[in-house]
Amino acid sequence: MTAHRQRQILVAACVMCLVALAMIVWSIVLPSPLSVMVAMSVAQGIGTLSLMLYVWVVIADLRRARVLGEDEKAAASPAPGKDGNVG
Amino acid sequence: MATSILGNPLPAITILCAVIAAALLVHYIVKRPPLNTQTKLLLLAGLGLFPILSAGSGSYAGFVQTTKRDFCGGCHVMEPWIKDAEDPHSTSLSAMHARNELFGDKSCYTCHADYGMFGTVATKIAGLHHVYGYLTKYWDTPLEEAVKTIKIFKPFPNSTCTHCHSTTLPGFAQVPDHKATADDATASCASKGCHGPAHPFASNGEPTAPPHGAPATGGTP
Ligand code: HEC
Ligand code: HEC
Repeated sequence: MTAHRQRQILVAACVMCLVALAMIVWSIVLPSPLSVMVAMSVAQGIGTLSLMLYVWVVIADLRRARVLGEDEKAAASPAPGKDGNVG
Repeated sequence: MATSILGNPLPAITILCAVIAAALLVHYIVKRPPLNTQTKLLLLAGLGLFPILSAGSGSYAGFVQTTKRDFCGGCHVMEPWIKDAEDPHSTSLSAMHARNELFGDKSCYTCHADYGMFGTVATKIAGLHHVYGYLTKYWDTPLEEAVKTIKIFKPFPNSTCTHCHSTTLPGFAQVPDHKATADDATASCASKGCHGPAHPFASNGEPTAPPHGAPATGGTP
């Protein structure tokens, strides 16, 4: 996964999470059957998905870092560092 | 509808956590930091920790909301029932109970909740059925028609009444009508002529048990 791809996925996760948070705040500020149900179902779903995207990116990144660490010379790709690179 | 922050801090906690999470996320989107350990931790807080806290306290606050009479009134077709409950002069069973502190602003839920072991969950799942009915069928029903057509889904269990009102006190058995209906499983406490109708428009005079007033319940005192 390239740094660019990582960033794309994480930004998508952030936006999804912001949408979910907005729904939750809506249900608190204006409680109605619709807002409370949306907050308890749709928002939780989107929020969980965004966290899963984060976990996916981080696991992929850690895996890559370890592979590079074990076998740095063999790694042909010119990745600048374990901790990812320019945004 | 706003609840006092001191009385119930959950809504405030929900919003605070949501704002913190949002600030972290916007920071990541705008500042574009490299994905190093620090950024990973920042995102863990912004996508994990704070949203989970916010969703958790928000769900509980939402659950508390769903027990309020205001919430029941959120679907317009419930207005006649809500108005009656809030009318200080109404003598319907529902309104008399709503005036008691024990019921208060949760009067509908207090009578219409399931008191079984998984009562709260069962009530909420049954509630989804109501929302479905509202979205598919009743959303544009005029109130006059709502009052005529809306009926209770399942017969109202007497056990809900006896959850609070004892049937073992001597006074209870001395009431002739209680004696007469003791073996009648179909007799409803809230039927018309007994303690009902629970609401002024209850099932339009179609009580679940025969009205008594006259000797209709079997009569034998
Ligand atoms: C004293 C307990 C009690 C309270 C409080 C109460 N209900 Fe009921 N409700 C009943 C009973 C009993 C029935 C069933 C009547 C029947 O068998 O037809 C019922 C029936 C209904 C029905 C079906 C239509 C009808 O009128 O029979 C609706 C709708 C309803 N209740 C809404 C509400 C709402 C909204 C509130 C809050 C304002 C509320 N109830 C509060 C006991 C109660
Ligand atoms: C959550 C507990 C609770 C439940 C459930 C409940 N009641 Fe009551 N009921 C009370 C209380 C408390 C009062 C006293 C109300 C007052 O006068 O302040 C009361 C009062 C009454 C009265 C006397 C009203 C009057 O002032 O004339 C009747 C009749 C009655 N209930 C019948 C019922 C029936 C029938 C049901 C079931 C549909 C029912 N109750 C369900 C707690 C409950």
